Order: sequence, then structure tokens, then C-alpha cells
Amino acid sequence: MTQTQQQTTRQADEQESTSMQGDHTDQRRLKVAVMSFAHPHAAGYVHLLQQAGVDVLACDPDRVSSADHEVRGADLAAQLGVAHVDTYEELFAWAPDAVVICSENTRHRQDTELAAAHGVHVLCEKPLAVTAADARAMIDACERAGVLLMTAYPVHFSPAVTAAKQAIAEGTLGQLIGAVGTNNGYCPVGARRWFLNPEWSGGGALVDHTVHVAELLDWLTGDRPASVHAVKNQIMHADLDGVLCETGGLVTITYEQGLVATIDCSWSVPKGAPTWGGVTLELAGTNGVLEINPFAQRVGGWDGNAGGRDFWLPYGANLDDGLLRTFIDAVQARRAGEAVEWPSPDGHVGLRTAQIVEAAQVSARKHRVVQISELA
Amino acid sequence: MTQKSEMPGLTVGLVGAGGISPAHAAAWKAVGAAMRVYSLEGADRFADTHGATRVDSFDELIATSDLICVITPTPSHAALVERALRAGKDVVCEKPLARTTDDARHLVGVAAETGRRLFPAHVVRWFPQYAAAQQTVAAGGLGDLAVLRFTRAVPYPFDRGWYSDPVQSGGITMDLMIHDLDEALWMAGPVATVYAQRRTASEPHPTETAHVVLTHTSGAISHCRGLWTVPKAPFWYTFSVSGTTGQLRYDSRDEVGYTLTTSPDDPPRPSPSTVALAGDPYSAEIADFVRAWRTGEPAKVSAEDGLVAVALAEAAELSAETGAPVDFPTFLKGSQA
Repeated sequence: MTQTQQQTTRQADEQESTSMQGDHTDQRRLKVAVMSFAHPHAAGYVHLLQQAGVDVLACDPDRVSSADHEVRGADLAAQLGVAHVDTYEELFAWAPDAVVICSENTRHRQDTELAAAHGVHVLCEKPLAVTAADARAMIDACERAGVLLMTAYPVHFSPAVTAAKQAIAEGTLGQLIGAVGTNNGYCPVGARRWFLNPEWSGGGALVDHTVHVAELLDWLTGDRPASVHAVKNQIMHADLDGVLCETGGLVTITYEQGLVATIDCSWSVPKGAPTWGGVTLELAGTNGVLEINPFAQRVGGWDGNAGGRDFWLPYGANLDDGLLRTFIDAVQARRAGEAVEWPSPDGHVGLRTAQIVEAAQVSARKHRVVQISELA
Repeated sequence: MTQKSEMPGLTVGLVGAGGISPAHAAAWKAVGAAMRVYSLEGADRFADTHGATRVDSFDELIATSDLICVITPTPSHAALVERALRAGKDVVCEKPLARTTDDARHLVGVAAETGRRLFPAHVVRWFPQYAAAQQTVAAGGLGDLAVLRFTRAVPYPFDRGWYSDPVQSGGITMDLMIHDLDEALWMAGPVATVYAQRRTASEPHPTETAHVVLTHTSGAISHCRGLWTVPKAPFWYTFSVSGTTGQLRYDSRDEVGYTLTTSPDDPPRPSPSTVALAGDPYSAEIADFVRAWRTGEPAKVSAEDGLVAVALAEAAELSAETGAPVDFPTFLKGSQA
């Protein structure tokens, strides 16, 4: 959801310039560091943090996962107008209150453990980790250190999701029996190459696009996954250089209380489509059916200057802003001495969604159903 | 339809006069066929309403018709189709071709043995939106197919006789989802494995859902979702088909060819259905069958397709029961059946 998030980030800047400053009891401004520019969301997070009135420092210590054309490190920091240091030692010497981790997926664990060792709160880009064992270790490290661990699931903050949460909590749908979710998107080949290399990403579409919908299901239903079946293929984008992972996938999850859900996580939006993709979720129960489409809001049309490509002008709530606001508020409250819980979506749902992905990968490889209880 | 003038003297023998019969009556009339009807129930009403001639036995129907059209409840399909084939008649049979894979396989064998034509009526292949998608797929408009999704939802078939009894109808996969299984087969080709989950609950309203995941021998993967939902819900259906060079998306609820807004004091008026706005797929289906029957050419759906659709639905039921994926070629051959 890179492009749209960045667009909406820019659109909402002016309106949101002061709203997150709050009534600090501590006179010192909050210090938040961004670890790595590997994930393209880093740019949007930097921007929102700057608008939120916190001190921001970035550190993008290497570009080993990048292609030559990718702008990283001090160059990107200069473009974003944010201070940059070259090493994490320097970053932690700055004594941040919190970090936002935007490194490659397979580095999330080491970066989170490093932050926890410095007593720093963590907002980690999704997926929290590429194995359940890593996610559990991250939770343990943050619990031991007494710091917050939150997973960056911005769709959680969609007003459509909030309304769905309330409708379901009120019993509007009756007993849930089935769900179909989609998170289709472009093949993430443009912004950052590492998405296509499991050494950095932990896998392809199954890793990248199962977790958003899995988090929504976790949040909306409160149910816990029991088993996973997944199939995958590498038919789309197979001609692109550097694609070392699946580009199509269907993940079917059974839940402890009986719900069955299937998530289409495919990178099936063709290059040249007017938008990056989207997220949809349909929930069927004994009293009705609910569908949410957090990215439905847009103005459409045909662009005569662009060879017939559709106009696609997204609008609506800035989801990244809701995510960062929630994280910053929790960090502020901790600093004020309040006993705040880990805000949702927390490290625990990060673990549960990582379990679903790991089970899906095993299932797709072994062509059998995998129980969550089988995982290490 | 256009074939009308080419069809002098075609007499179709309809067996069954239930819920689907008005759609068939209109379609057979559209090709200019004379209709005879035999049914345990409703034959007089059908004959009066649609201008058909009622006959008193299935044997008489066979003897006095050029072509037999079986539109009875599912469990009776196999025996009626076999009798008609063995009596030397070609047969159109409402979907599913038979209640079980074994029966469907047997019917395909009987048709081959007797040299008769057998047309399973998978009408969704003639819904113009699906036909347009399949045509684009077949012409290479999406490149190689990779991921397909189909959904279909109708109110729970509460209190509707045999149709509500899963033993007779085959349940949600055999009766409802079979359309989408057939579409996946039509667009993405032969199936290698079938995985399914099915859920039902009853309070406050009986509802049921089935999720089926197919892997095709091409490597493409398909998801079909069937839903029997709350009373008075609209009938809706969606699909999304993605390939290496493009994606097609369709949702019947997006079709707003007719929107009426009136004062709240006015009684609600039903809008014309999607089918009414788009043209009658049953007429297109029957016209295609009659063309194929006249010319000896293939129709849009073959007897073998009807067998495979039944087998996909039954393999899905097996997977839902065991919780494990089913190897479809093995299942289709019968060693698991």
C-alpha cells in the first residue's frame, strides 16, 4: 500500500500539523528514531512524525538489500529533511524514547531486540517477523525490557474497520461462519527490490499480503487461528528479473470458534493499473453479511492524456496517521508514568499473524493442512 | 431467437415441472420448439401456463419427443437420463448432471456407448458477464491465468423440499457452488487438487458457507466461496480473474442499470434483475444446445464437463469432511469414490 499511504500522507499534512502535539507533562519533546529506510513506508512515517511535533532522527546504516537506483541513507534523509546518522550506535546514543523499525523483514527481530536492550519502545513495520519463533522472541525481549511493542498495521485504523468492530461487537452479524479477504497489489518491484528476495523478505505474497487481512480478522472477531491451508504460484511477474518468491497465493484459515476465512494475498494488480491495489473483507454470519473496503473512497475517470488509463484519486482517512498517533500517545503516557497496555495492533497480534504466515508457507510447500499448534 | 426459422417441428420432452421449469419453458419457446411435459407434480399447471402438451408417462414422453430435457430434482437425474439415452434420445440435463460422481461417470459412459448427445445445463457459461470474461481469457487477453476468485450468495434454501435436504441436493457445493467450480474449470482448465471447508450455523438464521480452493494443472489457483445467507438477501455473484498481463473483476451488485428513487410513502417496487437487464441466459443456453444438436458440433459445455463439475463438488465435500486436500485426477477416476 506504499503509494496510496504516501499520497494520503501528503494530502493530510496540512490538516494534521499540530494535532498530535498533545498536552505533554514532560517538557522535553518526544524523541523518535526511524531505524532503516529499507521499507518504503519509512518516508511517510518520517513525514508524519515531523508533523506530530516530535524530534526525529533517522538511521539507514546500509543498503545491502537495495538495487542501485534506490535512494537510501543520507541521500533520502536529505530529501525528507530529517537528521541522519550512519550507525545504530549513534542512533541509540541520541537516547530516543521510541523507534519505528522499517528494516527488511528478516532484520525485524535483531532490530527490535536492540531497541529493547536500550529500553526503547518499538513500532515495527509488518510483518512483525518472518517466523513465529522470531516474533515470540521479540515479544519476550520487549516484555523483559518493559517497553511497548506495536505492529504497523495501518488498515486497523480505517474508520470502516472501526465501524465493523462496533457492529460485530453488538452482535449484528450473529455467529460468524465465513470470511473472504483480499489484499491484492502491484508486484513490489519498483520501490524496493528486497521484497522479492526471501533472504530479506522471508517470502513473497504470502508474507507481504496475508497479514493485513489476518490482523483485521483477529481484531474484528477475537477468534484465534487453529489451522492453515495455502496454495501459491509464481506465474505473474515471473518474467521480472529478481523475482525469487511466490506472486500468487490463497490462504484458508480455520479458527477455534468455527470461522473459516480465505485470504487472497496475490500481487495480482497489473503494472499500469491506476492504483496500487486494496484491501477488502467480507464477513458472513447467521444474521447478515458485512463487507468493508477501506480503500474504496476515490474519484474515478478517464485520463485522455495517459493513453486511456483511469483516473484514480483516493481520499479518506490517513491510516498511517492513526497508527502513529496511537503509538505516540502510548509512548507519551508511559513517559508520564501511566501503566498503559501495549496498544493494538500489538506484538501479540504480530505473533498470531506471523504464525498464520509460517503455517501457510509450510502448507504450500508440503501440500497439506498445518495446525498452528505444530509450529515451534 | 435467430434459430427459430431453422427449427421446424422440433419437439422437446420436458421431464419435471418445478422451480426451474419456467426458465426452460421460455428458452424452448424462444427456439420455436413444441413442448411436451411429464411430471409427477405440476404438469397440468405447467402445460396450461406455457402451452405444453401433458403426457402420462416418461416412456410416452420419450416416444413422442425429439429431444429430452431433464429438469427434475437432482437425485432422479441419473435414472431418467439413462433411460432416455438408452431409448435413443439426446438429452439436456439441468445441473448437476447427477447426484454422485459415479452416476455422472456412468451417464457419460452410456452416452458414449449409445452414441447419443448429452448436454449438462451449466447455465452460468451463458451469463453474458461470464461469457465475456471467458472469451477474453481464451483469447489470451489476460496472458497466463494465475489466481481466480468466484463468489455466489443466495438466501438459505429454508423449507424448500428436496432442495433443502443436502442428501438429495448435494448441499451448497453441489447445488450452488457447482456453477463457480464449472467456471473455474472453464477458464483455468483441469484441476489437480481440491481443498474445502464448510461451515453452518442456525441462530438466529440458518446459514451455510463453503470455501473451496482448486489448484489447476496449469499452476493457476482458484477460490470459490458459496454462501447460503439470511432470508430476503439479494442474489449476488462476483469474480476476479488475474493473469500475467491483466485482471478482470465483476460484482453483480455494481450493475446499476436501473435505479428508482421514490417518496417513502410509495410502495417499494422491485427493480429488474441483472438477468432481466442483461438478457436471458437460459435462452442462450438452449439455443446453443439446439445448434449443437442440429449440427453435431460441440456445445459450450460437454458431458465430460458436467461429470467433472459433479466430481469437483463431491471432492470438495470429501475434503471438507476429512480436512485434507483431495488429489483430483485420482478422485475423478473413481478409486477414491
